[in-house]
Amino acid sequence: MGSLRDVLSPFTAWKHVIETPVTLKNPIGREAADRYRGFHQNDTEKCIGCGSCETICQNAAIDMVPVDDPKEGDSGLRPQIDYGRCCWCALCVDVCMTGSLTMSNEYTWVDTDPDAFRFIPGVDEKPWDAIAKGYQRPGERMLSGLTRPEMMEMEPEARIDNFDEIVAGYSREQAVLEADRCVECGLCVATCPVHMDIPDYIAAIREGDYDLGTQILYETNPFSEVCGRVCTHKCETVCAAQYEGEPIAIRWLKRHIIDNVSEERRLEIVGTPQVLPTGRKVAIVGAGPAGLTTAYDLARQGHAVTVYEAQDHAGGMMRYGIPEYRLPYDALDRDIAVIRAQGVEIKTGVRIGSDITLAQLKADNDAVVLGIGLHMGRSTRVPGSDAPGVEAAIDLLRRITAGEEVPVPKKVAVIGGGNVAMDIARSMARLQKQKYGAVGVTVTALEDFAHFLADKEEVTESIEEGIEILDARGPQEMVTFKSGKRKGEVKGLRTWKVISIFDDQGRFAPQYDEADEIVHEAEMVVEAIGQMADVSLLGDELTEALQWNRGRIAVDADGHTSEPWLWAGGDSVHGPDVIHAVADGHKLAASVSAMLAAKAEVAK
Amino acid sequence: MFSFQPDRSQYPDIGPDGKFEIDLETGKFLKLWQGPNHPGITGNMSVELTVNGDEVVEGKTHVGYLHRGFEKLMERRTFIQVFPIVCRVCVPEPDFNEYCYAAAVEELAGIETPEKAKWIRALILEMGRFNSYMMSIGGIGGALGNGIVGQWLTYVRDLMLDRFEELTGARIYHMFILPGGVRAGLPEGFEGRMEEVLATAERYLDDTEKLLFTNAVFKKRTKGVGYIDPALFESYGVTGPNARAGGVAKDVRKDSPYLVYDQLDFDVPVEHDSDIWARATVRYRDLRVTIDLLRQILAKMPKTGEVMTSLPNVLHWKIPRGETYIKGESSRGEYGYYLVTDGSGYPRRVNVRGPSYTHAMALLEHLIPGTNIADVAALMVSLHTYPPEIER
Amino acid sequence: MKAEALSKMTNVEEVLETVAEFDREAHSFYTDLIPKVSKDIRYIVEELARAELEHIIKLRGLLASPNMRAHLKDAILRPVADRRFSDAIQAPELGDAPDDQEVLQYALAREQTAIEQYSELAANTPPGPMHEVFSYLANEESKHKSDLEALYYQIVHSGGV
Repeated sequence: MGSLRDVLSPFTAWKHVIETPVTLKNPIGREAADRYRGFHQNDTEKCIGCGSCETICQNAAIDMVPVDDPKEGDSGLRPQIDYGRCCWCALCVDVCMTGSLTMSNEYTWVDTDPDAFRFIPGVDEKPWDAIAKGYQRPGERMLSGLTRPEMMEMEPEARIDNFDEIVAGYSREQAVLEADRCVECGLCVATCPVHMDIPDYIAAIREGDYDLGTQILYETNPFSEVCGRVCTHKCETVCAAQYEGEPIAIRWLKRHIIDNVSEERRLEIVGTPQVLPTGRKVAIVGAGPAGLTTAYDLARQGHAVTVYEAQDHAGGMMRYGIPEYRLPYDALDRDIAVIRAQGVEIKTGVRIGSDITLAQLKADNDAVVLGIGLHMGRSTRVPGSDAPGVEAAIDLLRRITAGEEVPVPKKVAVIGGGNVAMDIARSMARLQKQKYGAVGVTVTALEDFAHFLADKEEVTESIEEGIEILDARGPQEMVTFKSGKRKGEVKGLRTWKVISIFDDQGRFAPQYDEADEIVHEAEMVVEAIGQMADVSLLGDELTEALQWNRGRIAVDADGHTSEPWLWAGGDSVHGPDVIHAVADGHKLAASVSAMLAAKAEVAK
Repeated sequence: MFSFQPDRSQYPDIGPDGKFEIDLETGKFLKLWQGPNHPGITGNMSVELTVNGDEVVEGKTHVGYLHRGFEKLMERRTFIQVFPIVCRVCVPEPDFNEYCYAAAVEELAGIETPEKAKWIRALILEMGRFNSYMMSIGGIGGALGNGIVGQWLTYVRDLMLDRFEELTGARIYHMFILPGGVRAGLPEGFEGRMEEVLATAERYLDDTEKLLFTNAVFKKRTKGVGYIDPALFESYGVTGPNARAGGVAKDVRKDSPYLVYDQLDFDVPVEHDSDIWARATVRYRDLRVTIDLLRQILAKMPKTGEVMTSLPNVLHWKIPRGETYIKGESSRGEYGYYLVTDGSGYPRRVNVRGPSYTHAMALLEHLIPGTNIADVAALMVSLHTYPPEIER
Repeated sequence: MKAEALSKMTNVEEVLETVAEFDREAHSFYTDLIPKVSKDIRYIVEELARAELEHIIKLRGLLASPNMRAHLKDAILRPVADRRFSDAIQAPELGDAPDDQEVLQYALAREQTAIEQYSELAANTPPGPMHEVFSYLANEESKHKSDLEALYYQIVHSGGV
């Protein structure tokens, strides 16, 4: 075998002797490719410490370590990476919710200290911190969803002549898709005033276990059905998903759980108090979210709780403030039914201060809790503000709920830019549509749209319903008829343009342009500005005895007033929404309960 | 021709069962360990040889030096967390693990891969084959004392690693083929730089042909040595170049085309002698085909389009109950992933079919008796096995 | 009445003394009002009384200062704009038990009158120390009014939801 060619041919390799060597003279220091996955960088300002990088790391190379105090929407933790474990797969970069974590293309690092290779990118300064090249996620985040499913809502034409609920709620498919997007970082839990276990109940949705979901909701919030509709959802403002995409629709997911559990089943899941009656009595003034949450907690612990409510139905602002199209009364009733099932007695139509005195309550009970809310509307007190035809929003909303006859003129002007202003504008618009077939509501707000107080959806939906919203207008006068049959009655609202409302430091300092004056024609002007608590029930003596804090009853961290038998919470003390009131309720109940336990000890 | 080989018919005795009768007590035999060295070619495994003179009468394979329990590790990781570890099942040609795993997950989870991603995946897989063949041909040269070929082809492989680095962001473990697509498109000017590498490769392969395949010594050492009877292919699970060197034109790319292979124009090289020479030649010819395929892929690939599909949230990704087997033609034969899912967030079972499993153990043990000690290394290299995939 | 008294003054010291006297009157007015209002809103009246007291102390310091004119000039270099927010607020008659809003309205109206009077005096005085002191006083009152307006907004316009 083999030929002469097979013997000679290999010698051609000798030609390589005269070729230039191909080896690199100095391989150390060679720059890696532009997208090389080298050492980590973290923009710590952008990072929120959500820990998704830690979760995804298959090798447990990442630990979230505290580098700063936690802030709203920032855990204060930052990823520490152990290069003894890291495999440079960059899934941490891909999953990063803010895009703060990247990799430089630097790959040489020499150190005699083995512990140096466990470091906190962005915090421990490294030579590659400023290198722009390296692995960056191309385009948007692909490892979890960016957008929320659109909520089905009634069209403006269909909803404007009635008080039917606008929002349809998620279907199972929509809810699962939305629940899937959650990365379970828990920043929402820290922000939620009652620290609802949001990631866990979202996980229950993914599993389709609505019983478990309901159980989790009730661990922290007896008003989940209400909050699932009208919560101000501070949780969503800190959601990790918002930085590249939309925040998780936490509020709608909460509602989805409750929507999928019947009232009977809910009562079964929550159950009734499993303790012996303690024989202690607590009176609660006001059947709003603060009072009823306190009642729920205390009743679950075996105390006898009576709630006194001045109105004909329980619910407080949830019923008499929030319009039905946002929160149907039967949804509220279902939440309250669970609370009643705990043995809580709610006495409606009883006004403390006139029907029963506070002193009487003090005498008959071991503790008294005030959850009286802010049921009095403020007036601008501009000229004409006491004329017939000028109404307070909070009063009108109450009358609408109570089914009382309210005047419905063709033209209504509303002063205010908060959610209450939107609530009354939209309620009046519905009544106008029913009566005249047309909407004629103008909202004038001091604030410009950039500083608007009302929720964005409220503004959008109001405009869809044909309500005119004029931002940056300051009320100057309620114009009245100067003569004739209707002399003295309101015929319009005169406003000036607000050029700017806050100064450089964000302090209120409005500037007007008086040349830009409008008289808004209206037979009714509704003032929907601030609200205040009606503290007349306290009486002079108690008012004098109590400590106060800038117009509100002073309480300690647990809601205890300066009087040993009296607690106070909710809007009238802290404000400004249902979920804060629920949080107050829990605190009040814990504080009252501790005192009752102490009383029981002493009695022994 | 003149031969230095002793007359092997003298010893050892053949027993009634047709096998060598080996009695260590006779003092005629010597135990010799080959390995576990790490040339990266035959990898970290050892063969326990029983020699009689310079003739090997028995070879027992010993593996396990690289055992890290990958399949078990995968069962304890979420579907996305499996992605960074699959490549480690095979060091020199890791991309088949990434592709097979990704495709298996995609099938069971019902995820569509963008068209362009399929082309990039094929590109990556052929780049990996290119490197694997470079190592194999360099290795067979090295195993027979022709180290210069190994140096040349390692240089060429290094140039391809540069292309891997700029495309995937890593040189060895690319971690680039994610379920849902690939991590990125081609960098600016990639095609031009790839063509430079291919042209350099062709120049070195021309020289390799002169030095190795037109070489009396190489022919003498490889022709007729390490013969595998094609009749054994089926029972020993012989696939890929090892089978094609014995006249069996098996190639998954042709037989059941995946990715974009049905849109590529190529022939499957076949040899017939089924010896070391035939296996080296088949690989050499297939390497030329690979170079052509790389050019075709770059020319035919869509220039625009997505390369990655949005995935459901991978942090709690659950895949419905199911099972699938995804296979591809690696440089060593059929590579496959058998994935079983049970509806949870973790794989119920992952089984990796690495071609080395059959080639490096059962087949090698069968082939060893009767060879010369000096030929064992070449025989092992000619089977082209990577021990990590035996021990996954 | 204030303007009338002040217009007869001939030097800066006299003006500042007189204004301090006005502030003393205001201080005792608010101090007398404190027990009359309900305890929950007493903090507003207390703050108003405190502000007057602070103003008296400031004027005293100014009188004692060797480079008083430099202070005056420096202060009027940074005029506070009157934003006229409270123009539309009516000055109420403070009854026996005024509420928080009435007290604030009253105080705002009082500031407004003071600003107008000092501004007018400044306008009618030729450039010189007297002009400077009136401008200074108008500016001081404007500053105080801005503070009150911020409080007014907080209590009346954003106290609810």
